Amino acid sequence: MDNSGKELRICHMYPDLLNLYGDRGNVLSLIRRAELRGISVKLVPVSIGDEFDEKDFDIVFLGGGQDAEQNVIRKDFVEVKGPKVKQAIENGMVFLCICGGYQMLGNYYQEHDGTKIECLGAIDIYTVGEDVRYIQDTVYEADFLKEDGVADSAVLYGFENHSGRTYLGDSVKPMAKVIEGAGNNGKDGFEGAIYNNVYCTYSHGSFLPKNPRMTDHLLRLALKRRYGDDYELPALSTENEDFARAALLRYKEKGNTAP
Amino acid sequence: MASIRFHLAVFSAKCTKLGLRILGRGATTLPGKVAVKVDPKILEKLCKGRNCVTITGTNGKTTTTHMITDIFRNCGYTVVTNVSGANLLSGVTTSMIFGRKEMKKADKAGKKVICVLETDEGAYGKIACQIKPKVSVVTNLFRDQLDRFGELAHTRDLIAKGLDTCEADILLNSDDSLVSELYKGREERTVFYGLSEESMHYNNVTYPDKSGVLPASSDAEYCTGCKTKYTYTARSFGHLGAFTCEKCGKTRKAPRFFVKYDLAKNPSDEGYELSLLDAGIGKTEKDPDPKEKRVKLPIPGMHNFYNSISAVSACVRMGEKIGDTEALSFEKCAAALEHVEAAFGRMEKISIGDKKICVLLVKNPVGLDRALSFVAGASDAEGIYMLLNSNIADGKDVSWIWDVDFESKEFPEKVYVSGDRYGDMMLRILYSGVDRERIVAKPMEECAELLDQAISDSTPGKCLYILPNYTSMLALRSILVKRYHLKDFWK
Repeated sequence: MDNSGKELRICHMYPDLLNLYGDRGNVLSLIRRAELRGISVKLVPVSIGDEFDEKDFDIVFLGGGQDAEQNVIRKDFVEVKGPKVKQAIENGMVFLCICGGYQMLGNYYQEHDGTKIECLGAIDIYTVGEDVRYIQDTVYEADFLKEDGVADSAVLYGFENHSGRTYLGDSVKPMAKVIEGAGNNGKDGFEGAIYNNVYCTYSHGSFLPKNPRMTDHLLRLALKRRYGDDYELPALSTENEDFARAALLRYKEKGNTAP
Repeated sequence: MASIRFHLAVFSAKCTKLGLRILGRGATTLPGKVAVKVDPKILEKLCKGRNCVTITGTNGKTTTTHMITDIFRNCGYTVVTNVSGANLLSGVTTSMIFGRKEMKKADKAGKKVICVLETDEGAYGKIACQIKPKVSVVTNLFRDQLDRFGELAHTRDLIAKGLDTCEADILLNSDDSLVSELYKGREERTVFYGLSEESMHYNNVTYPDKSGVLPASSDAEYCTGCKTKYTYTARSFGHLGAFTCEKCGKTRKAPRFFVKYDLAKNPSDEGYELSLLDAGIGKTEKDPDPKEKRVKLPIPGMHNFYNSISAVSACVRMGEKIGDTEALSFEKCAAALEHVEAAFGRMEKISIGDKKICVLLVKNPVGLDRALSFVAGASDAEGIYMLLNSNIADGKDVSWIWDVDFESKEFPEKVYVSGDRYGDMMLRILYSGVDRERIVAKPMEECAELLDQAISDSTPGKCLYILPNYTSMLALRSILVKRYHLKDFWK
């Protein structure tokens, strides 16, 4: 399929505030795997005080931040941009939200002392902060990524670092099953959330670089939405990303080589 | 009783060191750990009556400690200092125990003694009360293994706690908005150092892609007081620069000690000349007629401008504090900088036959950003060898490599990658636009062979830049000793 003239518009929300643990790598991944296919990319930072209009974008990325920085944006996100973001989600806009961004889409975040911080309420989830932090490499399995003949196509690699425990309501599906790590709450064996075209995960850092099939899934959704259901995302090798995945697997099996 | 306990603790430390030596192991922290078990107050006793300088912050501690040590030695002092990395209670205690002999000898000979102690930013709050430093330097606060402390604001609070347990004069980086606010409530004893504004670039890193702007992740773009975005009239790197909060008025403080240099020159060049200035007690860069000293810096790189001025200001301030302004005059301290040598992994060029290598330790985003920028500017850079491990001492999470703006840095022609997380690093470099064909990536077990290859590939007169993180640097060091017979050159 000819991609000339095709364009992907990425909204990077609060890049100056929500930029923890390599979340920037997710945006670089979307750009790279789109551009290698000849799709031109427009990247727009949307921060405090900037207008958010869903007409301008095909995909929205919302990362995680330090607590202090999340407090800075909460008012702008919930009160100012909130209604438009909710509408965009209901209209099927593609979102990728990581950790703090994931929590902020939910109904509330309950702090250790019981104080409830009101969040956007765009998806039916809530989060409870606890003392023990989950900090570790993770492995998940996401059925929607399964490709016939590709052994580890459904496997997602990540790194989690969160003290919040997130619980999903009935209208929200988990993104993946936990193979290694704690996932949403360390109890139910699930990780992340999917609602309409919103994908949420606790997986920080280079989530998309490590998971090119997930990158492609999001690109496909966004471009189909823009150019119609018959749009087909051109094939693109995952050889380099698979080299990195194999290296990671090797490291996991072998363990550290600490001197 | 206290005295018996103290001597027992010292004795235990000595036995531990002997034991470790028999086992052929280094003894930089365990003896101190044992001694603290025996006498929890031992560090306080060791530091009592001594003039101590502490250096803390996330980046530049080791180099600054090194510089301060060399300046004092050049100015006629006997110096006790700790080994790089051994900067927790155990490491500082170890250094002080084994420095006792030298200190006593110096005391007898009537020589002046100074203790220069690098202290971990997370541990500072707990050990400053025992060291009771006369002068305390805070270098900067950048993201560093956030899985240890959680947040930068938290790290700053840990340092503040330490500052309040002692009466030290505090030297703060005026260009770091997170560090400089430590002056609040400590105005009387704070002195600022920094880069003069005219020597800063407006260095707003951009993503070199037609599609838009993706700035490198920054640590402190918003005012910690009123949550308004800072405006910058100039920047040196990262969040360091001439910042102002237009809402609450918080702004960069004019420093007493400052650096000026020629923006047109390449800071990657060796023998780079810069001006160090001292406005004098109670004055700032805004006052006329500061003292000025031009020095050729033996360790290049813009971050070393900060390390240099903080080191000089610490020594001058100590002189004022202990009444030795004669030996520790600004001119003498600044001039002594020219004799500073790099610590291992801090930009020292090492010859291997007719080839040259240069090791730059990188532990966190800003360190890697500075190192890549340095290599991109180095005219002799032909190859780069990056090693990434994820042991506990490195931080288990390697995602920080994605926070660094690789995109704007030009890579040398030949790129080598190793470490336990060689896959992650290979992909990071690849995603920044370097072709796969230029990258050779091998697992950690093959890092020695890859080093052989990288050295053999390089041309005489050119330099191979090696950028390891912490534990991969330790591995690299022992490889260099074993395979290339470089002995103890990092001491």
